[in-house]
Amino acid sequence: MKKIIWLGAALGALASTITVGAQTVPEIWHYYAAGSEKAGIDALIAYTNKQNPDAQVAGRVIPGNAVELRRQLQTAFMGGQPPAIYQSSMASELKTFVDGGRLHPLTDVWKEIRGDQIFPEGVQRVVKINGVPYGVPYDLSLINNVFYNKATFEKLGITPPADWDSLKAACKTLRDAGIQPLANAGGPFWSLYNFYAPLVSTVGVDGYYKIASGELAFDSPEFRKALALYRDTMVSCYAQNWSGKTWTQAADDVVNGNSGMFMMGIWAAAYMKQAGFEPGKGFDVFPAPGTDGKAIFQMDVFAAPEGPAETVKVAGKFIEAAVSPEGQAAFAVPKGSLAPNIEVDPKIYDYAGAKFAQQLAAASKANAVLPNLFFLLPTKVGTELGTQIEKFAIDPSEANESDLIATLEALRQEALAENAYTKW
Amino acid sequence: MKQLVPRRSVLSSTTRAHIAFLILPVALFAVFYVYPILSTAYLSLHSWDGVAPTMRYVGLQNYFVLVRQPRFLHAVMNNMSWLAFMLLGPTGVGLLLAALLDRGLRAEKIYRMIFFLPFTIPAVAVAAIWRWVYEPTNGLLTATLQAVGLGGWAQNWLGDPALVTYALMGAVLWWTTGFAFLVFFAGLRNIPVEFIEAARIEGASPWQIFWKVSFPLLWPSTIIVLGMAAIDAMRLFDVIWATTNGGPAYASEVLATQMYDVAFGRFEMGKASAISVFLLIIAGVVIMPYIAAMSRRVAESEAE
Repeated sequence: MKKIIWLGAALGALASTITVGAQTVPEIWHYYAAGSEKAGIDALIAYTNKQNPDAQVAGRVIPGNAVELRRQLQTAFMGGQPPAIYQSSMASELKTFVDGGRLHPLTDVWKEIRGDQIFPEGVQRVVKINGVPYGVPYDLSLINNVFYNKATFEKLGITPPADWDSLKAACKTLRDAGIQPLANAGGPFWSLYNFYAPLVSTVGVDGYYKIASGELAFDSPEFRKALALYRDTMVSCYAQNWSGKTWTQAADDVVNGNSGMFMMGIWAAAYMKQAGFEPGKGFDVFPAPGTDGKAIFQMDVFAAPEGPAETVKVAGKFIEAAVSPEGQAAFAVPKGSLAPNIEVDPKIYDYAGAKFAQQLAAASKANAVLPNLFFLLPTKVGTELGTQIEKFAIDPSEANESDLIATLEALRQEALAENAYTKW
Repeated sequence: MKQLVPRRSVLSSTTRAHIAFLILPVALFAVFYVYPILSTAYLSLHSWDGVAPTMRYVGLQNYFVLVRQPRFLHAVMNNMSWLAFMLLGPTGVGLLLAALLDRGLRAEKIYRMIFFLPFTIPAVAVAAIWRWVYEPTNGLLTATLQAVGLGGWAQNWLGDPALVTYALMGAVLWWTTGFAFLVFFAGLRNIPVEFIEAARIEGASPWQIFWKVSFPLLWPSTIIVLGMAAIDAMRLFDVIWATTNGGPAYASEVLATQMYDVAFGRFEMGKASAISVFLLIIAGVVIMPYIAAMSRRVAESEAE
């Protein structure tokens, strides 16, 4: 019997001493789990490891999306075992971790890579917190383009619409021909990204930043006007049953000719190309009305948690290699995104990529590179805005409009009281 | 001379062995079950983004905010709908399938496998399958309805806020009925043939035999299936999160998915913890009477 007791006690002791092993090779956490995204990050890590034989890093996929990655990070920070580098959203998300004292300032690395010269001004804004860089851009996608089925447009004699009236006319022509005019997909992002075009048309670049900083109210006449424009144009063009589709299903509808147009991030170009629908032949793109000459973008950055000096040093060396023109190209080409570094040779892109790169360069010159509002707002306001706009797009009734305005305005007041807004 | 009596310690060696064996499970239970519950309750009284090293005490504010929030109340109602559905849907259909198959069909083994197979699929795969079944234009369901001339019945299955929860229930019915079926089927096969024979000789119809003889004898299976169904309805998360993320616009949210979104989608750990505490209380109210009744019956059976 004694033996058994000792065995039980030994098992208990063993169980209590099992600890998670420390990371042997500094890790980069990301959620690029499959396809072109995975190919991009793998190529980037292979490139940086070749450049830095004495500062090797290893990638680790956290399956899911930004939300799952946050969950994993929170646990890792609490346990004192954060990665060397991780994929972070820009702006507010970065700020939350900076305010929490979790991130290492990248001032030295930024100087080394000449960050102020190689990134557009709008891009720099969303990686600096109180003037200190905490994130380094590597994965940029424009979200203000409308994709269209070339054959359908040619058959019906439609030219890419340049203003809201011609967009509405194009929608009518398509609908009369039995084709769904404008594809869209369910979820808190896609309708919101579409809404930015009517919003910028109405409030301009300054108004856009004023909403981001909490200065322009959701119950202001300007915001109401933007909602009305969205309702009259894009919402009235949306394909039947759009809210029951994923963005890939909506893209399929453009490929197979069920829908004429689809306003989506430029990752849709890579998806359609993979489906055998060639850019410039099967589909083409035009900037959404009101956004010509501007570039609204979504971007991921690398952030480096505070940690042992050795790990921070490895993170710095990784970043230096990752922002070099070669490093940026290694990721952007397989992924189908744009390299934020303006020194990257535009020749690396295909037909669609080159067009997007030109848009970004032109907007950069005109100082009209706008970050995704979702991430400029305090996290809870941005998420609620996405949900409310989706609800409004499904049913743009007066009741839903009032509900949207009341909910968001209450949240804005709450966030103002908590000092949660930032002037980016 | 002193009489030699074996010295008796306060605890016999058997008791000590029992205690030694209990230490580990009790410690695990306390660390991984009791502590997180207490810690969640503590967190729910604070405002914290999950990242900052400090949190701010706000008392019961998170609870008061939630009970006034339509979004929260909607999720509670959804959990209640799921509870009703899980108790009736998969259980009823599982019983029906078990009763049909128990009548001795040819190729019984194949049917058994077909009925049970969906239950073995992980939730994320179920979500991926049903996203395609429910695609509103070319999905399997819409295409099938169109093929049989019922195209007018096709709906925006996952995109209509009024419909999405029912659509998800359809997917879950397909997914979980196999479990109820298997338990009921095993239960039916365990009923002694003599009982059924006796009833038949007495002139009972198959309908009467089922409801008067088989079904009452199935009570152990029924209790297992209903108990599991109630627990599943309360902890429902993965299939909804993977199919709709609780959308469109919160329409298909349940408390567990809302808690996850509030915690990690919005960095409001305190409010999310308050949602968890509410979920624990609701689940307790729904499930505790059942567990109490169960343990009573088990005690009674053992006494017999």
